[in-house]
Amino acid sequence: MKRQRNFVALVSTIVLLCCGALLLNQKVSAAGEGKITGNVKFEGAPPHMRGIDMSKDPWCVKANADHPQHLENVVVATNGGLENVVLYIDGWSGDATVEKTVPVFDQKNCMYTPHILGLDVNQTFKVTTSDQTAHNIHPLPNPMINVGWNQSQPPGAPPIEKSWKNPEVIPVQCNIHPWMHGYFVVVKGPVAVTDDSGNYTIENVPPGTYTVKAWHEPDTTQTAKVTVSAGGSATANFSFNK
Amino acid sequence: MHDFSCPRLRKAFHSATSLTAANLVLMFVALTCSQPANAIPAFARKYGLRCSACHETWPILNNFGLKFRDNGYQIMNDRDAPIWQNPSYWPITFRITPVWHRVSASNDVDTYSTTAPGVITGTAIQQISSSGVDLSGLDFHTGGTLEKNISFFVLPSSDPTAAFHFETVMARFDNLFGSPWLNIKLGRFELNNLLSEKRMVGLTDEGGIYQTYHFIPVADGNIFGQMGDNQLGIEYVGHSYDDRTRISAALLDSNDGNVNLTLGANSYSGFFTFDQAIDTGKWDVQRLGAYAFAGEAATYYRTLGGVPIAGSGIGNKSFYRIGFTGQFYFGPHFDLNVVTQHGQDNAWFGQGYGNAVNTDGNGGTLCSGPPLTNCLANNTPGTTLPIGSQAPVWNGVTFEARYVYSPQLIFIADYELEKMSQQADGPGFTGLNPTGAPGPSPSNLGNINNYNALIRYNPFMTSRAGLAIQLEYTLFHQNGTGPVSPITGFSTSTNSNELLFALDIDY
Amino acid sequence: MRTRLHKWFLLLGAAAFFALPLTSRAQLTTEDIASRDNMESHVAGYTGHVQDAAYDYRRYCVGCHGDMGDANGEVAQWLLPPMWPKPRNFQLGVFKCRSTPTGTLPTDDDLFNAITRGFDRSAMPIWNQFTKYQRANLVAYVKHFSPRFVTEKPGTPISIPPEPEVTPERIKAGREVFARVQCWKCHGVQGMANGPSASTLQDDLGFPIAAFNFTDGTRPKCGDTDEDIYRIFMTGLDGTPMPSFADNIKPDEAWDLVFYLRTFMQQPSKAKEIAKTLNLKPVSANP
Repeated sequence: MKRQRNFVALVSTIVLLCCGALLLNQKVSAAGEGKITGNVKFEGAPPHMRGIDMSKDPWCVKANADHPQHLENVVVATNGGLENVVLYIDGWSGDATVEKTVPVFDQKNCMYTPHILGLDVNQTFKVTTSDQTAHNIHPLPNPMINVGWNQSQPPGAPPIEKSWKNPEVIPVQCNIHPWMHGYFVVVKGPVAVTDDSGNYTIENVPPGTYTVKAWHEPDTTQTAKVTVSAGGSATANFSFNK
Repeated sequence: MHDFSCPRLRKAFHSATSLTAANLVLMFVALTCSQPANAIPAFARKYGLRCSACHETWPILNNFGLKFRDNGYQIMNDRDAPIWQNPSYWPITFRITPVWHRVSASNDVDTYSTTAPGVITGTAIQQISSSGVDLSGLDFHTGGTLEKNISFFVLPSSDPTAAFHFETVMARFDNLFGSPWLNIKLGRFELNNLLSEKRMVGLTDEGGIYQTYHFIPVADGNIFGQMGDNQLGIEYVGHSYDDRTRISAALLDSNDGNVNLTLGANSYSGFFTFDQAIDTGKWDVQRLGAYAFAGEAATYYRTLGGVPIAGSGIGNKSFYRIGFTGQFYFGPHFDLNVVTQHGQDNAWFGQGYGNAVNTDGNGGTLCSGPPLTNCLANNTPGTTLPIGSQAPVWNGVTFEARYVYSPQLIFIADYELEKMSQQADGPGFTGLNPTGAPGPSPSNLGNINNYNALIRYNPFMTSRAGLAIQLEYTLFHQNGTGPVSPITGFSTSTNSNELLFALDIDY
Repeated sequence: MRTRLHKWFLLLGAAAFFALPLTSRAQLTTEDIASRDNMESHVAGYTGHVQDAAYDYRRYCVGCHGDMGDANGEVAQWLLPPMWPKPRNFQLGVFKCRSTPTGTLPTDDDLFNAITRGFDRSAMPIWNQFTKYQRANLVAYVKHFSPRFVTEKPGTPISIPPEPEVTPERIKAGREVFARVQCWKCHGVQGMANGPSASTLQDDLGFPIAAFNFTDGTRPKCGDTDEDIYRIFMTGLDGTPMPSFADNIKPDEAWDLVFYLRTFMQQPSKAKEIAKTLNLKPVSANP
């Protein structure tokens, strides 16, 4: 069933991609970049997120004593907004993002903050640790696509600066604390991740018609078509049910 | 399945009067005697390696297999002890080799009058041929580690009638004090021959043994000293970590394996080997070695009523075999193995003293009575050697060339030459020599030329089981041991050939 | 329907997380692999060629590593981690034993040494009876399975300062390093592989894997010389939970740590002798 759906999605994506490519070819990126904003909702009752047993590491237990941590697979705000959805432009062929920030992926209270980091290809990011316990930061890309690594970050370790060469959803884990997992979602072009209310803004989008793709872990996607005018803002809302 | 009895039988019959009977029996025992041993899918299963990892073609060891064996059946990864295996793993292998064969050997046959039917006019030498399907027996190989660096090997082997004997029974202790130079074997084991008869691929009678390892002069009475067979004793083996340098020393005895008085008791021999492999790059590894086998064996026995008493062997006399071994690889596909031998038996053996005895309990009764039959030289004290007796001396060489097309297809050709340089019945000898003629033996008596060629194909190759299909042809020639010439009345040469098609199944 | 989906999702969330990289690893085709038949290695004085190793690979390696180098040989299914680690998938180009930093390709020498050394506590034997020529060819053969060896250069081997004299102070300093970077989280405070996280370790393919037990007399997987041990924790063992500590241990401290680790090991060493007189307590596992 799912496979079929994926197939349909793939075919439609390809069709859209071709249309997009045609459109983009006609259009020379003009000044006055716009943005795409929107909100992602979770439909229905949010699934229960199990609490995390951190008893393997007493430091982690202590650090989270007053706010016990839960799994972050599906994080739904009280207003129904879905956190940790990655939004990006499908089939992006424009220039590199104009203003490249260096996002930080922090290991804090034995959790990853943020849980998901959306990245442009070759965008530098920093891995830091705020904890007084040792972590190892171990991304697991498909070696056929990106090159993995595994580095230790004991307390007080200096930040690690890295980047990814190719688009891929890369899980990241800590082997010392097996509950710690997150993702580096590497895409081509501008990218945004929904905040704790399910809102997002993709900045630096040149005018044009685009297919916005919304990805939620582990591998659910949705698409929507938007047209961005010069300096304007387009809206694409999504709704996930699993 | 290879035991003491086969070459012993052949020799006994050569020295007996009925050479025709000997040749007939030869045909019968042809396929029962000559089985190599020691291919162990049990090991392949244990480690998940294919046969080809350890064997050039099983059971011939390649350098990796040699190292594995020298390490006491261990790949030395700290997972060799059986405690690391799945509990259902049991290190056992069955091996059977059903064959079809056609044997042809020269014999004395009666000739009949063409004019008067039924009237025998004399004898003539003719080739007698026969063919058929044989079972050839069954081997159970069980071997492996009991604990890290402690291993065992037991190989009960049967003939086609399911009469079993123990081919190999041994315990070994390896890497003593953490050193690969200290390994001890105890029991009955395969001698440390680079070109091991226990691992040869040939299945025919003459092509299934190395003549060089079994050669003794015609009518020689030495009960011991056959390098091709597994022997009882204790062996020290040492080798470098990469197995390029190997050294061994074995103290062997002539018991039959029973803890009692046995006919062959009271004599010991020593077997020493050394070999060194050299990395020759593209040409692979060349291994050069030398061996010496020296010892004593009894020449006569205390008797009761003329029958030898077990354990009473006395009058020990000496013998030796020395030679060089070489394993020359010409890249991955072709290799040439050479074994040379210079051998000498004491003159007493040369006159047949000592062989009135069963050596291992498997050979049937060679000497029985009273009245004594076949007891050639069961002498009494005070006997002296006939005039002209001298120590038989000979030289031999074995060449084995192998072309390995792929791990699954291999061609092997052997040539063996055994050449007497000094006969036991020397100048001045006046009795009847082994050909039946009076006076010294002809200088070529007992010389052997043996050719063997085979193709072996493994239709599949996995780590679980083995099947080999083999086609083999052997030509054997020995001077002075064949049928009696109707013209001279003396023994002519033995000529036999054998064609064999076999399935070698290893599970 | 939805509730059921949710339940599945929750139950298999973690499993899917690990399975994802596994399932998405596309197989290379024979043609793709064959396109790298001109791969060479330069090691031990030889130039290794792919075609010169084909025979040896088939004879010795294919049973585990498979025709395609994808670790799908006929017996791979029977190698059950953590007791018997799975064979290496050469197509992925990820190797444990390197002299190069984490995330980089190993040098030809690294692969050559791995073949020569074998892997302790695995089905990978010691292949030191091969000629150097054979091993050099096999290195080329191993490399030709992975496109990484075409698109990337091997990393630069980490520089290892000469080994200093082992002293009681250095062993004590090594103990501090062991405590600071928290080796004990997996390896245990006494090096017995019983740290709090030891039981949940998984390799990159999601198979369980054991931390190294320093005390049971076995050899470290990537060699048992002092330099090998230095290299192991400074480069990390890619594909496993063992990370690189290069950013957090200075070269001089690294030797101290080597000496301290030696005190756990059964193998005789000077550090072990000295440690007998020091009466060192295991480091504290408390935060």
